[in-house]
Amino acid sequence: MLAVIAERKLALELSTLDICFVVALHVRGEAAGLTSFTETQLEEVFAQASAVAQPEADQLRRRATLAIQRLRDQRMLARVDGQGVVRAGELALTRLAAGIVQFYLEEDVLTRETLGLLTASLRVAITGVREAAQRAVEPAAWQDGVAGPLRVTITELVAGIERRQRGLDLQQEDFQAEIRRLLEADWFGAIERCQGLLESTSATLRELNEVLLRDTAVLLGLLQDIEELAIAAAEPDAEAAAHRLMDQVDRIAAWGSARQRAWSEYFQYVHRYLRDVVRLDPTRALMQRLRDQLAGAGRRFALAYAGAPPIRILRTVTALPDRPPVVRPRAPRENQPEPDAGEDPQVALDGKVQRALDGGATALSAVTGEVTTELPAMERFVEAGRVAQTVARLARAASAIERPWVPVGDDLLIEDWTLRPGPPRAPDAKNENAEPPGPRGASGDAGGGAGDASGSGSASGDGGAGDASGSGSASGDGRANDAGGDRKHASAGDVG
Amino acid sequence: MTRPGYAQLQDVILDAEFPELDLALRRGRHIDREDVAWYALLGDAQDHLEAFYRRYGCELIHKTDGYFYLLPTGDKLSRRQLAPGDMVVGQALALLYLHPSTVERAGLHTHEELIAQLAAVMGSDALIRAFNPKRRRYDERVAQKAVRSRVGEAVRRLAGLGFVELVDDEQMRLRPALMRFAEPVRGLSEPAEALAQLVARGEIALEDDTVAHADGDGEDDGGDGGADDDELGAGAGADDGESGAGAGADDGEPEAAVEAGTGAGGAGAAGAERGERAAQVAPHRGAGADDDDDDDGDDP
Repeated sequence: MLAVIAERKLALELSTLDICFVVALHVRGEAAGLTSFTETQLEEVFAQASAVAQPEADQLRRRATLAIQRLRDQRMLARVDGQGVVRAGELALTRLAAGIVQFYLEEDVLTRETLGLLTASLRVAITGVREAAQRAVEPAAWQDGVAGPLRVTITELVAGIERRQRGLDLQQEDFQAEIRRLLEADWFGAIERCQGLLESTSATLRELNEVLLRDTAVLLGLLQDIEELAIAAAEPDAEAAAHRLMDQVDRIAAWGSARQRAWSEYFQYVHRYLRDVVRLDPTRALMQRLRDQLAGAGRRFALAYAGAPPIRILRTVTALPDRPPVVRPRAPRENQPEPDAGEDPQVALDGKVQRALDGGATALSAVTGEVTTELPAMERFVEAGRVAQTVARLARAASAIERPWVPVGDDLLIEDWTLRPGPPRAPDAKNENAEPPGPRGASGDAGGGAGDASGSGSASGDGGAGDASGSGSASGDGRANDAGGDRKHASAGDVG
Repeated sequence: MTRPGYAQLQDVILDAEFPELDLALRRGRHIDREDVAWYALLGDAQDHLEAFYRRYGCELIHKTDGYFYLLPTGDKLSRRQLAPGDMVVGQALALLYLHPSTVERAGLHTHEELIAQLAAVMGSDALIRAFNPKRRRYDERVAQKAVRSRVGEAVRRLAGLGFVELVDDEQMRLRPALMRFAEPVRGLSEPAEALAQLVARGEIALEDDTVAHADGDGEDDGGDGGADDDELGAGAGADDGESGAGAGADDGEPEAAVEAGTGAGGAGAAGAERGERAAQVAPHRGAGADDDDDDDGDDP
């Protein structure tokens, strides 16, 4: 492998401008989603890179041609269209160029030079955008000349600064670890080198902070102009882009001052440590003695300190009110029950059923329909059972063995009885509770409340889970049998 | 040296910072450069305040490491001594303070690092013995848990005295006053000689003198009931019931539970009760009982 490289005389020779050019191409490609560049695009990007790296140089086109050729010779740009001399070609960055770009974008650390370069680029770009904003009249011009560049190109540049800030943060962490390593390796002898490192880093941070303070003021002024122009032209996109960018620039400035402050504290801490610990214990004997002391050598001792108890502040004295004497209550503790004149619901139901019967109803379904017609759906279901129990008590009911299911309204089905005129059958002598007629009697706990008639022949209308008990009960127990649709079945005759 | 600004003691006392500073000093707080306003006040009014506190039988000590504290030399102001457990923790913290790793993180260390330092220097067994001196046998896991708990308590007490600053639940910042723990071994003279000088100045007390106080430091006396031979945590009322054989396991307060658990097996409830009572009483009895509870409530 090495022989091949030597034989082919591979070499890389890149100037700052070349690196800027390659990085700018990468940024442009990422922002615009380009995989290759036309020669015109290459020249435009080169012009931007040159404005940053060599702002005074002239003969832009010639230098662009030479730079492109250099990159092609070093396999950083490759032609990808395959058209030869037929027309101007398209070129793309190679993997080699991409690797270099990644290295510089991700590994680069913020220095005064890179920060100056990036802020200068930002200034040039934002100035261009401001000029475009001053010229723009049509919404399309605002979009292409102001909002677009602010959102893409300039945001990328700001992101570049932030990336380098992260690099600097990492470098400082390494630097703090380096001070530790130096002290561990050469305790007293490391003082000079530690102080040198501290001074150099402090100087770097100070310079960065100065650059940031100066340049961010200029950048914010330019962005403020663009924002005002966008507001005047009623261009919310451009205004929002400028505002967002101002926030980012503010963040960069805040980072600078925060790092400066944090480093200042660290600087003082290390200097104090070097002075109080390292210089006073050049041979590290103190640490060893302290270790021995902790391990149990020598007599044990305890530090003394002042331990004044807290000042006791007494609670304010207040006269307690006299408690009232204990006396027997004069009024009776419990009130006498009073009669309630409220209407008995069963009596009311009896009246309704009786009116229906008197009106000529000949079937349970007819009575149920008449009595429950004005009730809400859920109450009708419960009331149907009570109606069945009441009908069984007030009328003579008859039923076939197979009772038909008859709809009552839209949402209720009941097993129907036929009602014959005349009073109900007299109670069985053997069982006073046995209800007369009906199919075979009815027992019922109507709604779990009043009127239960148990034993053989019951109409259960308990509206819940009531099972008619006893032999031959016609119950309107309100069990919900899903017989299709939303209609509920009130079984008027679970024969238990 | 008194700098301009405090021509008389009255000027110092009228300073808005003085009442809080005075209370802190009287409660044993060590003041260093991190306490910016207090340190500046002490530095500016040092002459006035030295004379002022001398009238109370105290010395206002200023160490070249950059901290002040008040040392009672008479009987007008209460004088306390750190408990043995606090001393062990304080010396380990001082060792950490001197270690180069402190520089890397600007004085920040974690509780885990502290316990690792203690274990590395003393050895695990000695560490457990140091915090459970009356136990002959112990359950390793329960004892380790007790050590961690007691180290945490010691750190909190030392933080109240200004030796460390608790940054969060895990981290603490080491402060220059920790160098007090290294005083006996700091000079060029023999440690025994240095120790004698420090004792003569009243800055430290030797262990023999502190035994009476240490018994009540709230560390070792929780419901022992003379059952030193019992395995730590083997009694009822043991911590979480993990090692406890009897009923009455106390899930609530691990420290009290561990101490209560040294009672005779089966006497858990009583042991726990004794332990709780001892834990309640201890802070008011012993040296090093300068718990932060003192700061509550009654302050002006």
